[in-house]
Amino acid sequence: MAMETSDPLFPVRQTTLCLDIQGNKTDIIVSSYEDHFLVIVTQIGSMGTILHARKEEGVSIDPTFNVAVVFGKRDEPMLAACARKLIEHISNSGSSKALVLSLGLRDHSMGTLKGIVSAVIEKLF
Amino acid sequence: MNSNGGVEIANQSMNELSIKEQEADESVQVTCFSEFSDDVTLHFQIIRLHKQIYAWIGCNSAKFGHLYAAAPTRPSNNVSVTSLIGGDSDNTGLGIARRLVLKTGLNIVLACNIPKNSPMLEAKAEKKLMEKLISLGYTMRKI
Repeated sequence: MAMETSDPLFPVRQTTLCLDIQGNKTDIIVSSYEDHFLVIVTQIGSMGTILHARKEEGVSIDPTFNVAVVFGKRDEPMLAACARKLIEHISNSGSSKALVLSLGLRDHSMGTLKGIVSAVIEKLF
Repeated sequence: MNSNGGVEIANQSMNELSIKEQEADESVQVTCFSEFSDDVTLHFQIIRLHKQIYAWIGCNSAKFGHLYAAAPTRPSNNVSVTSLIGGDSDNTGLGIARRLVLKTGLNIVLACNIPKNSPMLEAKAEKKLMEKLISLGYTMRKI
């Protein structure tokens, strides 16, 4: 169940969602700033690993993306893959906003990350 | 008159209440507010997670700004703070994050787009945010 949780006069729109992913209670909060999306996904009560993903404006037709871990686990490629999927989706929907993604997860399995990506894309973007 | 039944119902209600309290404790709380003064508008967004707080301070715009993380460092009372995004030459917000943790004992991730060289604005934003954190009951230290 997704909830819009800001008053219309506040410049940042937020949506919160609480759902079960692979047996773990997961809170997802998406905030939309002028130049960024912030997606917080937590199962552990804290932000966990934080990633920054940007689209690089280049000359070629296909955009390139830069994904970097700015806090937390730097050796989990699945987390970066999750960020990449989301920034790609953001770019495909016509926005050039960057993405700050926080993943505080109990497990980093493919199933969990796929569940997160589909929940975020389907219900919030 | 069935007084035992009454006690049972009371116990059940108490159990339900404490479960709800626990769930409420563990659920995410989002607070947003804006402060208008002179010709500057400060926007504040506070997201409370069970073990961490994320806050965003916007000055006149909804740009994300720079991102910092700060936390108390055991066993001493020191605070560790680092900039995660931006904040290399312009560390407006770094001081705010550090002082918030110093006074509240919380683990904080702060995004802030206050322009550099605005110490008055910085101090005002910090004060407002601190007041709000206290009034929401999020702080851990005795201030």
